[in-house]
Amino acid sequence: MFRTAITIRKRIIIAAVIQAIVICLICAFGYVSFNTILTKLQSIEIIDDVNISFLEMRKAEKNYFLYQDLSSLDELLQIGTKRYKVLEASRSYLVTGLHGLSNQEYTGLLHNLKRYLELIQQALYNKKVPPPLEKEIRTLGHNLTEQSATLLARERKTVSSIVSYSLIMLLVSLGVIFIIQVVLWQYFFRFILQEIGVMERMIKMVSEGRFHEVAVKTIAPSNEIRVAVQAIADMARELEKREQELMQSGKLASLGILISGVAHELGNPLNNISLIAQTYLSLYDMLGDEEKKNYMGDVYTQSERIKKIVENLLDFSRQKKQEMKDTQVGDLVQRSLGLVANQLKISKVRYHLDIAEDLPLISVAPSQIQQVLVNLFINAIQAMDGGGQLFIEASYDQEQNMVNLSVRDTGTGIKKEILPHIFDPFFTTKSTKGTGMGLSVSYGIIRQHHGEILVESEEGQGTTFTIKIPAKDNDKGSNHGQANYRDR
Amino acid sequence: MAKQIIVIDDEKIVCDMAKKILEAEGYEVETFVDSQLALERIQSQPFDLVITDLKMENVSGMDILKEVNRLYPSTRVIMLTAYATLDATIEAIRERIYDFFPKPVKIDELKKSVKKALGD
Repeated sequence: MFRTAITIRKRIIIAAVIQAIVICLICAFGYVSFNTILTKLQSIEIIDDVNISFLEMRKAEKNYFLYQDLSSLDELLQIGTKRYKVLEASRSYLVTGLHGLSNQEYTGLLHNLKRYLELIQQALYNKKVPPPLEKEIRTLGHNLTEQSATLLARERKTVSSIVSYSLIMLLVSLGVIFIIQVVLWQYFFRFILQEIGVMERMIKMVSEGRFHEVAVKTIAPSNEIRVAVQAIADMARELEKREQELMQSGKLASLGILISGVAHELGNPLNNISLIAQTYLSLYDMLGDEEKKNYMGDVYTQSERIKKIVENLLDFSRQKKQEMKDTQVGDLVQRSLGLVANQLKISKVRYHLDIAEDLPLISVAPSQIQQVLVNLFINAIQAMDGGGQLFIEASYDQEQNMVNLSVRDTGTGIKKEILPHIFDPFFTTKSTKGTGMGLSVSYGIIRQHHGEILVESEEGQGTTFTIKIPAKDNDKGSNHGQANYRDR
Repeated sequence: MAKQIIVIDDEKIVCDMAKKILEAEGYEVETFVDSQLALERIQSQPFDLVITDLKMENVSGMDILKEVNRLYPSTRVIMLTAYATLDATIEAIRERIYDFFPKPVKIDELKKSVKKALGD
């Protein structure tokens, strides 16, 4: 079909050529029609004049026969001769083939007129008309007027039929133009628009940061749009790669902050194991079998605690594929809090959880959302120098089918003038402490999840970040045995 | 009469082990995981020695140290900590801390320090 190999350039050229041909044909047809009508009108005028002249000649003829007035014949001869010359000169207007007089009719008319005038001349010469001649003159005169009247009527009829024929052809031409436009649309332009539509959608996806959804759609090969679409797809892939690198670097930056906290967190179970071992060694002889077993049990519990801390950190730092999983918001919050637990403790930040019961599941890449949460928690902690409160709330917005998660701190707040820039890449107020990538990467992650991240802040009062993520449709997750309210 | 020691640490195992070791040395030991309750206990009764963790929820080791200094200026305080910042250490010294043990704590050194603090 057309769409398999024709480039847009060729399509436009072909369409233009077809349109030009059609228009030329219609114009030519119109020209011919009008030209015919014009000729016919001239022809009618001539025949009309001839007809009138003949009637005048008949009148003169009758006058002569009634009153024997020779001057009438003279007058008749003058009119007739003049008319004869005109008729002879107008051959090209009258004998026009298809619609005109036939050659026979024309020469017949001319011949009759000539003969008529000869008879009149003869009568004038003899100054009298003998009865046989009178009869012939009367018959010829009668025939001439009959002939011219018939021709006039026929010519008028022909013109009116040509006009109505032209009218019909005009309507037909309109129909043909319409059909040609439909065909051109069907085979040439519809695909172009469709393909531009595809391109538009792809660009929209890129602008929304949904890079992984941008795939090359079915578009005719060797088509200019195909090239553009391919370029957009390549660009999206490249952007996705860059964004992943950026996310990973953002993650590594948070990891740097997390790691000192985690190291301290490891200190407690390590100290516990050390204490158990020392006590076990120094009191070995005094301990009963049961006590010894308990000690070893405690060592095991403490080593499990270390394992969990390390696993959680590794889990966070690992560069994972963006696998979408149906996830409980509460779980994500808990795991993220686990990572910053020590920072919270050191910075004297108390957190308050308010996770609504029966929240729907969200389909997300868990490690990415966790990255966003950890980032928000670290920001909040850093904004609360000397301690404060961290409120984490999650609720379901039924109207928009979104799960809303807000992280509110009682920190220093963000100045109004810099608030619009906080999601910009490399924007930081922390000089050496921050990379300026944290919120920008978070913004990208949430956009990729078709969500939104909003910020409200009041200087000296605190800052609230709200994340909105689409809920999985018609699927209420179980509550995971989570307490509705939990403070620490 | 046995010397009375109060041990405060939000890690239960630290409390349990310290109690075990110090009781084996012949001291009478009370332990608290909740520093708020410990503070109330100290306010109600003097102890011969206080051993406390530095970083704790609600009432910190520094708060305990200050309260002990206020109520019983002669009672000595030994502090345990997993992360001693310079600021915290200086503050503790100014509050006349007796000894400072980074975690993981070496039991023999703790025992020696306890013995010295109690003047045995």
